[in-house]
Amino acid sequence: MTKAAMRKYALLALAILFVALYLFPLYWMYVTALKSGSEIFRFPPTFWPETLHFNVADVWVRLRMDRFLTNSLIIAAGTTTIIVAVGTGCAYALARVRSIWMDVAMFTTLMMQVLPSSLMITPIFVSFNHVGLLDYPRLAVVLAQAAKLLPLYIVLCRTAFMQVPRELEEAGLVDGNSRLGAFLQIAIPLARNGILVTAVLVFLLSFGEYVYSRSLIGERALQPATVGLQSFMGPNTSDWSGVMTYSAIYVTPILFIFVLLQRRIVSGLTAGALK
Amino acid sequence: MARFIRSVRDARGLDAVLVWLALGYLGVFSAFPLVYNIVISLQTVDLFSLASFERPFVGLQNYRDVLGDPVAGTVLWNTIQFVVLSVVFQLAIGFGLALFFQQDFPGATYLRGLFLAGWIMPALVVGAVWSWILAGDFGVLNYVLRSLGITDRNIFWLSDPNVSLYSVIIANIWLGIPFNMILLSVGLAAIPRDVYEAAELDGAGAWQRFFTITLPLMRAPLGAVISLGIIFTLQQFDLFAALTQGGPSNASNVAQYWSWQLSFQTYQISYGSVVSVLMIVFVVAVAAVYTRSTRHEQSY
Repeated sequence: MTKAAMRKYALLALAILFVALYLFPLYWMYVTALKSGSEIFRFPPTFWPETLHFNVADVWVRLRMDRFLTNSLIIAAGTTTIIVAVGTGCAYALARVRSIWMDVAMFTTLMMQVLPSSLMITPIFVSFNHVGLLDYPRLAVVLAQAAKLLPLYIVLCRTAFMQVPRELEEAGLVDGNSRLGAFLQIAIPLARNGILVTAVLVFLLSFGEYVYSRSLIGERALQPATVGLQSFMGPNTSDWSGVMTYSAIYVTPILFIFVLLQRRIVSGLTAGALK
Repeated sequence: MARFIRSVRDARGLDAVLVWLALGYLGVFSAFPLVYNIVISLQTVDLFSLASFERPFVGLQNYRDVLGDPVAGTVLWNTIQFVVLSVVFQLAIGFGLALFFQQDFPGATYLRGLFLAGWIMPALVVGAVWSWILAGDFGVLNYVLRSLGITDRNIFWLSDPNVSLYSVIIANIWLGIPFNMILLSVGLAAIPRDVYEAAELDGAGAWQRFFTITLPLMRAPLGAVISLGIIFTLQQFDLFAALTQGGPSNASNVAQYWSWQLSFQTYQISYGSVVSVLMIVFVVAVAAVYTRSTRHEQSY
């Protein structure tokens, strides 16, 4: 082996070490979920379970995870639907038109992106209370969360539309398509991948929403998985096996989708973030 | 009417409608609460007056009450520590990793992308996992620290007021590393290779190249990442909820969590909105500086 090749493999080994160190918390979550109750509280801890202990089914039923995850899914799906319906066109217009007004619109959008949920929740709570939205708590969370993530969606989708060559649309216009037609039949299909990945990102982020749900949803049966997890932890938890199993069940689908789309999510984020 | 429909289908009208749809939504659900927040902060709002529109106007009294509260000083100092330490370490570790993964070896891009797994996870779950890692009696971090001889007694990360803030900071650094690293990688990739080659031919060492080429050329991305880091750090709420709940006795409380506690745990809603107004002004100021600087960069 040449010296250059050796260097490459040494770097690769070091890189894997860094990834492993960084992802240790994830590993620890899965390992704890697989340990038996007594092995969890052993000190020094074991880094590989001595006896594999599957309590997925037990935790799923005992902690009512079906209910919590259904609510999380409803909130994530609702948020994504609103955002895609409202934001796609705006992203398109911002990508196509250059004018001072579009700059103002873009600046406003960017400013709305940075408002922290935990600070916005107080006025949202008071105003939703006035109009009776708190009687539909999951809808209230969806509306608030959509406002939180809409700017991010617009910014990332705008980059996707900017990569669609304007000439293709102009050709469509020459062929007698209306501008609306060109947007729906030419621009959207060509920017499809970017839109889809951004929508998935919005979905995943809303699937883990916490602040709004915790503050707006009082009824246990309507709460999402984050609020459920928090209520089981409490200050003096000893059911670490349950908490880690719950966490593992909750994040495994998220991680699965992430690994599938990793390359696209990373490139979408990096293209949009610095522009 | 027909003219309007035609303009929407065919001309500039389309762009206006599309943009106003989104801006209208943001206006109702972001801008309105933003303004309403200021109104609330000038009134007395608690559970009794919550539903009525006729609430006593008290001017700046709420601001005096909140800023005069002895907790305010603790919270302010904690918030500063939380932001500064989180941003500094996220940046340092993120930059280091970005530089490392910039080198040419098989799988570099893929392995680098794996770091984002931490970023995509719900922060509340991340908090749950860290609270188990940091647990006083059986936590794995205490075991590692004791094996390495760094400490000889268990540290009670979450319940010791001297360290509870740092336990949240540790978890927050972990969450922030991937984002910093990915954004800085983009900046690094934009530096032309031949600049380095020329410097190498001129006999510049690795350190010299870093300080005379990399750092100056990375000024804009570093500025962006620092502003975004401040913004994201001030958005962090879930980790506090999962790890310390601001405790013990406010030892790890920060402004954004305190604001929520005032509104939703003690129901002093107008006090909560005072903290919220002050923090939002700060966050928007940081964001405005950041947005202006990226604009400036584009134009040249």
